[in-house]
Amino acid sequence: MSAFFAMGGYGAYVWPAYAVFFIVLIADYLAPGLRRRRNLRELRARLARQSARQQRSPAP
Amino acid sequence: MANWIPLWLHKLGSPPIFYRFAGTLRPWALALALLLGAAALYGGLVLAPADYQQGDAYRIIFIHVPSAWMSLFVYGVMAVASFIALVWRIKLAEVVAMESAPIGAAFTFITLVTGSLWGKPMWGTWWTWDARLTSELVLLFLYLGVIGLYHSFEDRRQGARAAAFLAIIGIINVPIVHFSVNWWNTLHQGSTVRILGPSKMSGDMLWPLLTMMAATKFYYIASLFGRVRTDLLAMESGKDWVRQIAEEEAKS
Amino acid sequence: MSQAPLAPACAALLRRDLTLAWRRRGDIAMPVLYALIVVTLFPFALGPEDALLQRIAGGVVLVTVLLAMLLALDAMFRSDIEDGSLEQLVLAPQPLALMLGMKILAHWLTTALPLIVIAPLLAGMLHLPAAVMPVMLLALLLATPLLSLLGAILVALTAGTRRSGMLLALMLLPLCVPVVIFAAGAVAAAQQGLPWLAPIAWLGAALALALVLAPLACAAALRIALDA
Repeated sequence: MSAFFAMGGYGAYVWPAYAVFFIVLIADYLAPGLRRRRNLRELRARLARQSARQQRSPAP
Repeated sequence: MANWIPLWLHKLGSPPIFYRFAGTLRPWALALALLLGAAALYGGLVLAPADYQQGDAYRIIFIHVPSAWMSLFVYGVMAVASFIALVWRIKLAEVVAMESAPIGAAFTFITLVTGSLWGKPMWGTWWTWDARLTSELVLLFLYLGVIGLYHSFEDRRQGARAAAFLAIIGIINVPIVHFSVNWWNTLHQGSTVRILGPSKMSGDMLWPLLTMMAATKFYYIASLFGRVRTDLLAMESGKDWVRQIAEEEAKS
Repeated sequence: MSQAPLAPACAALLRRDLTLAWRRRGDIAMPVLYALIVVTLFPFALGPEDALLQRIAGGVVLVTVLLAMLLALDAMFRSDIEDGSLEQLVLAPQPLALMLGMKILAHWLTTALPLIVIAPLLAGMLHLPAAVMPVMLLALLLATPLLSLLGAILVALTAGTRRSGMLLALMLLPLCVPVVIFAAGAVAAAQQGLPWLAPIAWLGAALALALVLAPLACAAALRIALDA
């Protein structure tokens, strides 16, 4: 097992390369999800404000 | 007879329908990417024998080459989508082009970093001014320029159209850069580094590489669809279908 | 409404731009001063040995001229956008590409030409051999209009945005890589006594292509950027 992680002495180059690959792609994959949740939350807040204003307006 | 194909494509161009279509397809693409990626990693890191010249360091090839390939492929997709966006003014094509750019930039970045991590033990240097490496760096700048131009406009659609124009200029530029750097290398006879040795790849090294190429393709589809869905929601935030989605997600 | 013939319209536009530039003579001097300062810094940073300075002279002068042009590029359409005369130009009956070509020519005359005039002085400060000077001037004469034309497309693309300085540099860098390579390649080849005609010919070919295509691309880019 440790021979596998040593990569014939090249472990210091092989594993960082794989780490970069996975970290960058995972970050790329998760980023739009966060943006999407924020957008929807803002939209819901806007809708709530709108409906509150509509309920208030009939009563003078 | 085959009238349903253009009709179907036309329908797919409408944001709510594409939103649902991408939503159903995305988990499958991600699952395929993970499955193929896992198989490729097992084949590449465990099953494949060490290279007789490079030892185990060559195993970086299983992520380096697919990433390099994707960095060009994504640029191609972006340029085609840009062309469609400029000629037919289809909103979906604009979104696809602009959301491809960060994914392509990510793959280009991975290519550069893994390339220098591979180059250090093999050639003894992190970086060399070879035509391929330089073209890849220029490609990264092109991606960053497209992303930067897109975000510098206040109106997103206008920004998308300007950046699409830049993407098309860029795709003309890439071969010119490659050619000119090649010429430059022959002028300055510097350190001659051979990028790929003459050795042919054996089958048990080749199949993980090809599998990983397929896995990155499916990853691109999954990531792109996620980004496009997010963008469509933001762009159409005044419409009814987005309101419905917002309310549905509040309940769950 | 009678349409003004093409040639007088071009001449009028060129005269207007040159007059405007002449009214603000200080702006013309700025890129020249900038190039002078940058070139002065190199011997301080690298040491005053003749051999080293000679080797880098051609490249330093070219890159400096490029950076100085980049500095002035941002202002190519700025005042015209602010006072709305660029929109007038877009609406004018004359072909927009030709009009923009005239504006690019005016810009080249006011920013690049002074730099070319001062280039022998810059090269002399770095001890570039006098025999190489004509090749360097020829390379600059071909490379600077190419940069103006390519830069104009990008400036047009950013016309609708507020700040564009750094962005412009980021976008221009990939486009100017081949120009720098061939221009500096010609100077380096001449310095080594090698035939230098091939890179000059490539630059000339690129310039001929850009002269035809860049104004068209610039017009298309401007239409996109101003279409609100």
